[in-house]
Amino acid sequence: MSQLDILLLVLRVAFGAFVPLCFIAVLVWMERRGAAFFQDRSGPNRANICGFRAGGLVQNLADAVKLITKEDIIPDHIKHKFYFVLAPVIVFCIALVSFAAVPFADALIINGKEYLMQAIPTDLGILWFLALAGFAVYGIILAGWSSHNKYGVLGGLRAAAQVISYEIPMGLAIISALVVYGTVNLTEIAQYQGQLLFGFIPMWGVVLQPLGAIIFIVAAFAEANRTPFDLAEGESELVAGFHVEYSSMKFGMFFMGEYVAMFTSSAIIVTLYFGGYQIPWFSTETLVNNARAITVLLMLLTPAFAWVFALWMAKNNKSHYDRPNDPRVREAQIYTKILWGVVAALEIVLFIYLITVSGGVADRILVTLLQIVTFLVKTTLMCFVYVWVRWTLPRFRYDQLQKLGWQTLLPLSLLNIFVTSAIVVALS
Amino acid sequence: MSGKVKIMERKGKDLYERLYLVEVFKGMAVTFGHFISNFLDNSKLYVRHYPEQKPEITARWRGRHRLTKHEDGTMKCVACFMCQTNCPAKCIMIEAGERVDGRTEKMPVRFDIDLLECIYCGYCVEACPMDAIRMDTGIFAVTGSDRQSFVMGLDALLATPGAFTEEEYKKGGA
Repeated sequence: MSQLDILLLVLRVAFGAFVPLCFIAVLVWMERRGAAFFQDRSGPNRANICGFRAGGLVQNLADAVKLITKEDIIPDHIKHKFYFVLAPVIVFCIALVSFAAVPFADALIINGKEYLMQAIPTDLGILWFLALAGFAVYGIILAGWSSHNKYGVLGGLRAAAQVISYEIPMGLAIISALVVYGTVNLTEIAQYQGQLLFGFIPMWGVVLQPLGAIIFIVAAFAEANRTPFDLAEGESELVAGFHVEYSSMKFGMFFMGEYVAMFTSSAIIVTLYFGGYQIPWFSTETLVNNARAITVLLMLLTPAFAWVFALWMAKNNKSHYDRPNDPRVREAQIYTKILWGVVAALEIVLFIYLITVSGGVADRILVTLLQIVTFLVKTTLMCFVYVWVRWTLPRFRYDQLQKLGWQTLLPLSLLNIFVTSAIVVALS
Repeated sequence: MSGKVKIMERKGKDLYERLYLVEVFKGMAVTFGHFISNFLDNSKLYVRHYPEQKPEITARWRGRHRLTKHEDGTMKCVACFMCQTNCPAKCIMIEAGERVDGRTEKMPVRFDIDLLECIYCGYCVEACPMDAIRMDTGIFAVTGSDRQSFVMGLDALLATPGAFTEEEYKKGGA
């Protein structure tokens, strides 16, 4: 292995490990502020460091400090302490590892060698996700069972029944997607979606497989134990469900695991049905060939976006009551300065790239970075849909959940397989 | 005995609603409308920025108690025990003594209200024949770091002023 190989390996694994972790903070923040805005509240906006609130992100820090410093209780009635401690670890680690097979950019070609942009450069692709997603529920069941608590056991049982019911439509939806793509490798699936249908529609999975996409998204919501399918922690019936007995950071692990799972399943949804890292109408080759033009475009667009963002900050980051010498206005002014500093730095980097190293490998690295940003933006939007649905739909009743899974999604996904296969066979 | 039975029309049975997705998207459109208008201009949020912006307390609000005084500064309370007897939470403890200011024969030497026991029902105010105890201080948040600090003594109760003028208080129905 050359030094480049090792460097890229480290970078990719670091990306696969740290990006989901960073997204926990972003998603918790998005959930709380998003929930507040959906309900015409303001959400956590007070916690600050020296007056800097970062739009409420500092609240996450305070929450983390609280969770870490709380007393970590293992109740006396718990006989299997090992499993009790193991359960949150399983939930968290499985959610984290299942992101490993998701490509976050097109294969990077340096000196004629191809590097797959996945944390684990494997061909297993979607099978890796399916295997691990099914395993994550073991953590929940184990937590419920080892809690030795009726609410915990009921929560775990519900989670198990739910995941079994929804794994089937999910798997069948994936099968029909695989019939279209002809591969299980997620990088190849994303590459396939870079083509154009009839020359002008991006060939995203959601265009080719609208029914499959809906079934998969519904099943993914159920798999991630999110509303409207979060029966496992239905607080009106089960207090908190499977994590009743957990406190401190062991609860924190469940909490973070939920958000990592949300991020991972968003990433999978984006990769399977929303073109993955593909920028619509710009395939990787087009981007590489027109790298200079795209750089100029970026240099023009970045200040425009920054300007809009600065205006938005100035409008919204102020106190809505009489306050002499409003510190929030000052805060917004400092943010605006930082924003313009970042934009200037970006412009300089792009300018240096344009006059010195453009062409060859640098172009490919630039395109890879662009695709990573695209992928993260798409995944964040999908996570927003999760939050959006959570604060719109009420929870399903248990029988309604099973009825939807077995009587609606299962026949629909079978029908989808037949129709898809017929069309694929007819066209080939 | 035949009660009238009104048969309600069950919603959600026609195909359009059983498709569920259309209605889901309609609901999501509604919530997204709220989100985007708040996101673009957060002065539209229905929030009170609490510690800085206090809620408006009306004269009828039952806040923390106080004991009232005559114009010459002597207390109105005659230690008749009406409030203590009437209190459903048994949070008032009165100890009567001889009156020294010459108005009547009795006055309290100890008048404790345990605010942790109090349910703020206002029966003491209604029971008082002398209009000596009122809940018009406008204090709605009582905080303390130990239990003892929640027991209001005679001096503290007499020292707290009312938050409203006499007319406003009377208009409130007292």
